[in-house]
Amino acid sequence: MAPEPPLPGAEPVTSADTPPLLTMSGITKSFPGVRALDGVDLEVRAGEVHCLLGQNGAGKSTLIKVLAGAHQPDGGRITWRGDTVTLKSPIAAMRLGVATIYQELDLVEGLSVAENVFLGHEPTAAGFVVRGREARNAAAGLLRRLGHPEIDPARLVGELSAAQQQIVSMARALSHDVRLIVMDEPSAALDPDEVANLFRIVADLTADGVAVVYISHRLEEIRRIGDRVTVLKDGRAVAGGLPAKSTPTRDVVALMTGRNVEYVFPERPARAALAEPLLTVRGLTRADEFAPLDLDVRPGEIVGLAGLVGSGRSEILETIYGARKPDAGQVHVDGRALKTGSVRAAVRAGLGLAPEERKAQALLMLESITRNVSVSSMSRFSRGGWLDRGAEFTAARRATRELSLKPDRPSAPVRTLSGGNQQKAVLARWLLRGCRVLLLDEPTRGVDVGARAELYAVIRRLADDGLGVLLVSSEVPEVLGLADRVLVLREGRVVHTAPARDLDEHRVLDLVMEGSPAS
Amino acid sequence: MTHPTTPARQEGPLLDGGGPGSGKSASGGGGGSPWSARLFRADVRTLSLIGVLVGLALIGGLTKPDAFLATSNVQLILTQASVIGVVTVGMTFVITSGGIDLSVGAIVALASVWATTVATQEYGFAGILFTAVIVGLGCGLVNGVLIAYGGMVPFIATLAMLASARGLALQITEGKTQMVTIPSVLDLGERDAYLLGIPPLVLVFAAVTVIGWLVLNRTTFGRRTVAVGGNAEAARLAGIDVRRQRLYLYLLSGLCCGIAAFLLIVLAGSGQNTNGNLYELDAIAAAIIGGTLLSGGRGTVTGSVLGVLIFITIQNIFALNNLESATQQIAKGAIIVAAVLVQRRTSHTP
Amino acid sequence: MSDKPSLPTSATRRRLLFGAAALSGGAFLTACTSNEPKEGSGGQAADAPVADDKPGKPVTIGFAGPQADHGWLNAINVNAKERAKKYKDVTLEITEGSNDTAAQIGQIDTLINKKVDVLVILPADGKAMTQAGLKAMRAGIPVVNLDRIFANPQAYRCWIGGDNYGMGLNAGHYIGEQLKDKKNAKVVELAGLDNLELTKQRTEGFDAALKNYPNVKKVARQAAEFTVESGQSKMSQLLQAQKNFDALWNHDDDQGVGALRAIEQAGRDDFFMVGGAGALSAMQAIESGESVLKATVLYPPTMAASAIDLARALGQGKGIGGMAEFEIPSSITLYSAVVTKDNVKQYMSTGFK
Repeated sequence: MAPEPPLPGAEPVTSADTPPLLTMSGITKSFPGVRALDGVDLEVRAGEVHCLLGQNGAGKSTLIKVLAGAHQPDGGRITWRGDTVTLKSPIAAMRLGVATIYQELDLVEGLSVAENVFLGHEPTAAGFVVRGREARNAAAGLLRRLGHPEIDPARLVGELSAAQQQIVSMARALSHDVRLIVMDEPSAALDPDEVANLFRIVADLTADGVAVVYISHRLEEIRRIGDRVTVLKDGRAVAGGLPAKSTPTRDVVALMTGRNVEYVFPERPARAALAEPLLTVRGLTRADEFAPLDLDVRPGEIVGLAGLVGSGRSEILETIYGARKPDAGQVHVDGRALKTGSVRAAVRAGLGLAPEERKAQALLMLESITRNVSVSSMSRFSRGGWLDRGAEFTAARRATRELSLKPDRPSAPVRTLSGGNQQKAVLARWLLRGCRVLLLDEPTRGVDVGARAELYAVIRRLADDGLGVLLVSSEVPEVLGLADRVLVLREGRVVHTAPARDLDEHRVLDLVMEGSPAS
Repeated sequence: MTHPTTPARQEGPLLDGGGPGSGKSASGGGGGSPWSARLFRADVRTLSLIGVLVGLALIGGLTKPDAFLATSNVQLILTQASVIGVVTVGMTFVITSGGIDLSVGAIVALASVWATTVATQEYGFAGILFTAVIVGLGCGLVNGVLIAYGGMVPFIATLAMLASARGLALQITEGKTQMVTIPSVLDLGERDAYLLGIPPLVLVFAAVTVIGWLVLNRTTFGRRTVAVGGNAEAARLAGIDVRRQRLYLYLLSGLCCGIAAFLLIVLAGSGQNTNGNLYELDAIAAAIIGGTLLSGGRGTVTGSVLGVLIFITIQNIFALNNLESATQQIAKGAIIVAAVLVQRRTSHTP
Repeated sequence: MSDKPSLPTSATRRRLLFGAAALSGGAFLTACTSNEPKEGSGGQAADAPVADDKPGKPVTIGFAGPQADHGWLNAINVNAKERAKKYKDVTLEITEGSNDTAAQIGQIDTLINKKVDVLVILPADGKAMTQAGLKAMRAGIPVVNLDRIFANPQAYRCWIGGDNYGMGLNAGHYIGEQLKDKKNAKVVELAGLDNLELTKQRTEGFDAALKNYPNVKKVARQAAEFTVESGQSKMSQLLQAQKNFDALWNHDDDQGVGALRAIEQAGRDDFFMVGGAGALSAMQAIESGESVLKATVLYPPTMAASAIDLARALGQGKGIGGMAEFEIPSSITLYSAVVTKDNVKQYMSTGFK
């Protein structure tokens, strides 16, 4: 067995009183029309987990891109172990020992794991002949170290799951002589057990003296692994070096939002579910994805699907919606059977999907709010193919106002909106369409804490107006807080159904892990 | 009244077309600096193209005052822009939808030779026009079916069409030039047919441009085209029949090629298998310098037509000044690079 | 002093131009051979076996040409086929035309493997195809190189082709003669594809001839692409740029169709036009006398017929009648005759569509 390569950057753990590894002071950065960073200070010590918190648009992404050498700051000073440095390019940052793992992973899907890990610094013979075996062995060592020996270095990255790809990305970071790793929302696409592995890796790294800058929306994660916290708001650091474990949540939330809320779920109306089901699913199956599924959604009801990533949640929604063709089974809306495998039939019957990947699957990023809202209802504003843009505008604005979408300027391009407002634009699309059943896949992904409560209220209000809602979320508190009834999925199979108030987070987690109701 | 005016029309005009011209009408939204900055940039794109055209006109006027500024020269430039212009309007739709049509030149060639065979010419004017349009549509249909329903990549499907259509055109003509013998067709290309000083070819070009602009900016068809190009998956999940839309788009491009082939027959008084040589590259280049995104999602008929006019005007100025075609090609390449650079600068967002 | 014309008198010139026209392309071999060799006055020429129409030893001729995407190239194929059909002792193995050098090399390899007796090759690109010619020659198959010449003389036994420089020269002389009494005469040139060597040669010849006529000045030159469309486009711009001139030389009759269309559309008839190559439509226009096209300079596609004659002669080990040598020459440059209304009838049959 080949000896495991040691994790690079190993040096004695530094204590709080040694000089900081990195300081950034007074960093400013403007883009045309936007001041993204307005004098940010950040200090990171070797061996610590430094958490960066802030709502979307607070400047986190810009700051880490400056740190990664991808953006050049307009002003400010960066010092590295006491020396002033300029990070002219990503390569310069990498040479210093800064590695960044972006949320949208920057891997080449058509290359193997090993090739990705050593992309740009392949072990070579005679300067140009890539030594494939050596690269594979070294990659295998790194992957073992990261707790994922099952990933074959020779496999194509495109064939791996999102979580595995993240591990590859991390292996790539570690293949350099790294002293600081920036992780941008690393847990967003991970299941609880994978998150646990991630935390173990972070702990290993810091034990070796590597500093980690950790970005997450999940406060509980920050409590678990963070050492110190810097909070960004509107391009400024409103607080730096707060103790991660002991700062009260309400203080952190207040710093981020200026308000004192985190998860606030609307009240469930007390109501008897007497109405006939709007959406009926019977025996819907896709081999290898989910077992025959029966499901009802009544008007005014929010039904939640809880389960791990890979448990078939998104696949179920997409199959109901006709975006995937089922092997068997039927979907009825208002008692009428839908042509399976046809999105158009589903939309005509009154289904609407807010997909998981909002930017990739729902939005026309170059287009205005109006056009994004009206895209599914164009025939209503046209005669003989000719658009009545006045009517379109009025109707779209009515829908966006109903959801309090900000800004209230329907001609604004949708890509300038925050995540929460982009989600509202998608909901407004279905509202305008007059849809009867909403299928929501991770409706609050990428939506910052402050905007979530508002989105929850919107979803509940739509249900109160008589819509049926089928909700998928990997955040168990969200499903429990928002849904009336919860179906727990494990490996494509419903293992438990119960009213949301009869379940709690631990119970659901037990169910998704074990598959049988723990008692 | 086909489309009644509503109050909203006054208080908040919508973003239109995504074309460079769209900026003006969307300003009603008012306010925020990034948005108004974007509007300004959108306008800059069209203005910069018009600026280039004015600059070229100045160069032409200064170097060859009597020849360049003559009415007959303006007529000439517009006439020569007509054939490739009509093709470019179709290409603009295809590129806006995220596709590409490499077969346009070959379709023009095939339609023009099929429409000028001895057999076709027996049916006179209508026979030629009908054949040109039907051949164009037929090729477009094949492209569309292969791409939309056969799952072929547009680049490959239309490349295959390019090869087959050119081959078929050669087979029909055996390399010979097919002279048009129908007087009514020939007359259409001559001075006597000008309406108020406007050549009929230019009238067709103008009509195709206006219709193209309206379809792209004012109809559900145009909106769907932009949606498919901007994000095909999102369009599909929004309930748009993406495949049917793609089929229609290649049909549209084929139709434009058929019309262009007829114009070329009128212009050249003949059909030849070498017709439409490298139209695909000229049309793509004109659309791109006009501001249509090669990746799809944004298209501008106005920009494309300006792009065509710029190319033809350069050609004209070089010919009037008796410069070599080699220099002309260099200038054309430089213009493409400059236009794309200007656009990158004016439309860059963080 | 140096540019003082040092040329024959006009009478001599005319004889030079039109007298030579009798030797029209492919007709020349049979014209020569149809005269029975007379009993010599002691010369050895009489003893040399010469090619004639009578059947001889059977010969298989392989023919590889480019894709016939142009009227002239199509005429090349037709001429070769027609000529071969005429001889009972000739079998023609003709390949699918290709513009791709690699494909053409493959076709020639196939012909070599088939062990044809003689090869006639009109390469898509002469320089690039040299190796194919060498290979055939080494395999013992004599090669008749048609028009586009190989880079190495060892690659062919006999080259026969047109004279691009001479074409320009004769066009220039014809125009010069027509305009020699006109003061400040202006001439316009519509060239072919500028990145081809032959276009440059034609222009050089044209310019050289015009130097003999100090009163004639070339005022503009634009290059088209041998296509009708480009001819129409470039010509209409030339007409826009040049409000008056006296003569136009157009390198190629195919693009001339477009040029004539442009001239017609502009309603211009203040000059005369000379074409190039010898298309049927051009000859018909010359004969009718109604259009501005008054003459065309030949680049005879009948050379393909002659190439078949030469190949047959090579295959049968014969020489050319009317020449003293035992062997056929290693190089034959054809004359670019000027076809005018006076002699067009004679050439009409060689005009290609």
